[in-house]
Amino acid sequence: MIGMDIAYYPGCSLHGIAREYGRSTALVCRRLGIRLHEIDDWNCCGATAAHSLDHELTLGLSARNLSIVNRMNLDRVTTPCAGCFSRLKGCSLALGNSHETRERLEKRIESTLAKLPEVAHLLQVLVEWIGIKGLADAVSRPLSGLRLAAYYGCLLTRPRAVARFDDPEQPTSMDRLLRAMGADTVLWSHKAECCGGAFAAAQTGIVVDLGGQVLEAARQAGADALVVACPMCQVNLDSRQEAIEEARGVRYNMPVIYFTQLMGLAYGFSGTQMALDKLLVSPLPLLGHKGLL
Amino acid sequence: MGPDFHTSFRLERIESPLKRELKDLFGIDVDTCLECGKCSGGCSNGHVFDYTPRKIVQLVKLGAEETLLKMDALWICLSCQLCLDRCPSGIDIPRILDHLREKSRRRGIPATRPAVGLFHDLMLDQVRKSGRVSEVGLMLRFNVATGQYLNDAGLGWKMFLKGKLHPFSPSVKSVKEVRRLFEESYGKKT
Repeated sequence: MIGMDIAYYPGCSLHGIAREYGRSTALVCRRLGIRLHEIDDWNCCGATAAHSLDHELTLGLSARNLSIVNRMNLDRVTTPCAGCFSRLKGCSLALGNSHETRERLEKRIESTLAKLPEVAHLLQVLVEWIGIKGLADAVSRPLSGLRLAAYYGCLLTRPRAVARFDDPEQPTSMDRLLRAMGADTVLWSHKAECCGGAFAAAQTGIVVDLGGQVLEAARQAGADALVVACPMCQVNLDSRQEAIEEARGVRYNMPVIYFTQLMGLAYGFSGTQMALDKLLVSPLPLLGHKGLL
Repeated sequence: MGPDFHTSFRLERIESPLKRELKDLFGIDVDTCLECGKCSGGCSNGHVFDYTPRKIVQLVKLGAEETLLKMDALWICLSCQLCLDRCPSGIDIPRILDHLREKSRRRGIPATRPAVGLFHDLMLDQVRKSGRVSEVGLMLRFNVATGQYLNDAGLGWKMFLKGKLHPFSPSVKSVKEVRRLFEESYGKKT
């Protein structure tokens, strides 16, 4: 099978609240012959907090990470987090577009940014660099009978000038991937709406409002579960689901599963290996009922 | 509506230093706005904004900087990038809001949603100290600072039982390199 070496930026959540995303990513990539090399001594991208209050800081934080990729002699870098992806790619484009910005940042981080690595979200690596056929070839247990709502959220495809991936309004990459795994995906309205993840703690009311709209749209489309490619989306829609149910008076019981966990199942890994038990709204009854565990 | 303009005016006679500033610093030209309203129609949080994105662009044209620096939208914009993505003229409204937020901070104007500003500050403080964010540490500090000790306590307990909480996340070894970035920017302004 194809061998591919890519620098890997996990971001803080993959080492914290989203470890199951990290574990499933590692196993699925290994199965596909993708060798992920974690960026040595990487730092946080600053996420919403940094760009909200200081753009120089946000550029500096990502520039440091990009310069380490440089030093590792890798020309491509990926991350499973949509937020980290947006910051990393935005920084890479800013550095590539302006000589002045690059020189300023090189001085700030006291390191060279001579070669800018190509930045891609993990979903893009799989769908575009490996390709749907390559992904489908590795399936040993098709996810038959699952009706899934692929949820892309905001930063995976937006703004189009930064993400340069998929269609920002009607993305299809995750749908195609999931169908290659043998599942069905629903057509629905909220694929690329924002779940409010940035305010998960600071403005709970907003999160319950926006997250509720996403869950309701998925329910109306007849989905069994939501599938996500971002730890913020997952934690938000999963952990706030009870509050959302209370506010809307509707019982959703909608598992919010990382796409890599479902790929792992289709590739024959066990539910335990995919750490499915870590999700708060348990997907185990649904997956068990469909004979996928 | 804000007190910044009368019901009839002539735009070409209005001086907007903010408009020039955005053009000079970031190449953002609000005069290319078509007033189509796609930004406001799509805005994730527009239904709770005091000024929707289209109005924000108009206020920039009018030079209504005071209104913009004090508006609630500044602190509840989710930076979801939808307004920018749908704008036929490619006006980077999220960048305008980031700039206004930085400016509002420098001027010492209190955030209309103190919790949002506080959360950002606590998160950046962690990044400055250790180079990375520990979600558990951040939530604990946020709850203590807001006096909501039991906020999300049930949720925290559930996550603890799931083994999702990892209070001791390792720091960046060369954390000095990260701290230097703060000294030269964020730290200076606050």
